[in-house]
Parts: sequence; C-alpha cells; structure tokens
Amino acid sequence: MRLTVRLSRRYVFFASHRLHSTALTEEQNRETFGKCNNPHGHGHNYEVELTVRGPVDPVTGRVVDLDLMDRLAQEQILAPFGYRNLNEEVAVFRTVVPTTENLGAEVDRRLREAWGRTFPAHGPALEKVRIRETDRNICEIVRIV
Amino acid sequence: MVISKKVEFSASHICRSPQLSDAENERVYGPAANPHGHGHNYVVEVAVEGDPDPVTGMILDLKRLKEILDDKVLEVYDHRLLNREVSPFDHVVPTVENIAIDIWNRVAPSINGRGRAKLYSVRVHESSELSVEYRGEE
Repeated sequence: MRLTVRLSRRYVFFASHRLHSTALTEEQNRETFGKCNNPHGHGHNYEVELTVRGPVDPVTGRVVDLDLMDRLAQEQILAPFGYRNLNEEVAVFRTVVPTTENLGAEVDRRLREAWGRTFPAHGPALEKVRIRETDRNICEIVRIV
Repeated sequence: MVISKKVEFSASHICRSPQLSDAENERVYGPAANPHGHGHNYVVEVAVEGDPDPVTGMILDLKRLKEILDDKVLEVYDHRLLNREVSPFDHVVPTVENIAIDIWNRVAPSINGRGRAKLYSVRVHESSELSVEYRGEE
C-alpha cells in the first residue's frame, strides 16, 4: 500500500509594498488601507509554505523531489519577489494591490503554471499555498486535488 | 534584575551608502542594495535593568514602558520607508546595527534617570536568522 501524505516546505523572502488602489481616491485609499497606504511603502518578512500531496515513493521514501521543489520556489518566488519593491518591480502589482491575498494568488498562479513543467503528470500535487505577512496576517490558497 | 519588553514593526529600507560606488554597494550589501528597497517585520526587545520597587514589585511600570515604546519606536518606525522617513537614515545606512543604536538613543532619555530603572540593552531582530544587541557605549 502506498500512503498518501502531505508535505509542507517553507520559504522566506523580504520585500516592500504599498497598499493603494488606482480605483479609489486618495482619501478612500487612506480609509481602506490605513497606514499600509503610506506613500513611501513599508515591508515584511514573508513566509510562503507550500503543501504537496501525493503517494510516498517506495524507493526514495519521498513524496516530492525537494531539490526540484526548491529550484521551482527559487525561480518562481524568491528571485522575482525577494529584496523587491513589489509595486515597482513586479509587473502585476502595477495595477493589482499587493495585499497578502493578491500576493498569495500570484505566488499560486506562478507555481501552478510552472508545476507541470517540473513534475510528472501523476507526480506530487500542489495542494496549498500559505503566505504569512506577519504573525497575525496569513492567507491560504487551497485547491482541491 | 533585567526585564524586557518586545514590540514589532514593519518597515522597508535600502542598504546603500552614498560613500560607496554602485559596484561596492552591490558587493557589500548584496540584494539588500536594491535601490527600490525591500522590507522586514522587525522585532525589538528593550531590556531594562534595576531592582524591583519594594512596594510595587516592579523595576519599571510596564504600562509606562509600553507608552515609551509606542511613542519613541512604533510611532516613528512602523509602516515607514526608513531611508526617507526616519532620521538619521537620510544619511546613515539603516542596517540592523544602526537601527538598534538609533532605538537606544530614542528610548534611553525616557528610561534612564527616572527612578530605579536603567536601559540595559536593545535587541533588534530583522528576521528569524539575524539579530543584533546594543548595550550603549561600552
């Protein structure tokens, strides 16, 4: 019997952002986003936790090749977002507000787009992306697989 | 006896020295030299030394310490771009070392010389892997 397990791995990056919507007035932005609307921006230590679900390979005893997963995270998350000003340096956030929700969705979108090129069709599935902006702000993107 | 209190703030910074060339800044600070900036959730632990008051059992009223940290640290640092919005970082590089020294300078006058408490140390964590501790001029 091959057991199905969930494995989670954590990645950390440091970035800055500003919450501001071009669809709102200056006053509405201040009301909606409070101090996160500060025009100069501010920053966080973001943690991204990826949960992979699949059977344990009987030979390797692993559910996922961690080297491949690390390379994917490096290419899709750490390189484009680490040490960046998200609003100014990540194209999607010129128009989309880089809230934890939208950042999580973008991380999820990038990983899923690249996942199929990295892992075989019946290989491990990315079940959940969890992004932590601070101890009190955490967003999960869960796909039923 | 030493008692410490912890506060957190989120801020962005750029680690570049105007006294270094672009190439030297890249070499010294690595990706942290990115001129667009990046950010952290900073954790600050301020430790105060003294003997507990025989009546209250306290070195320093913790409500008072919280007010000092709110006023002198969070009000100044939270949700800011340090290089542009917090002096002296318009001319001092906001490394975690210099942040600890600046916080010491901001809180020390409110703690020292008022009763039995004396500022003992300021520890600033920039991430879970990196922190510095400053104990004033030694």
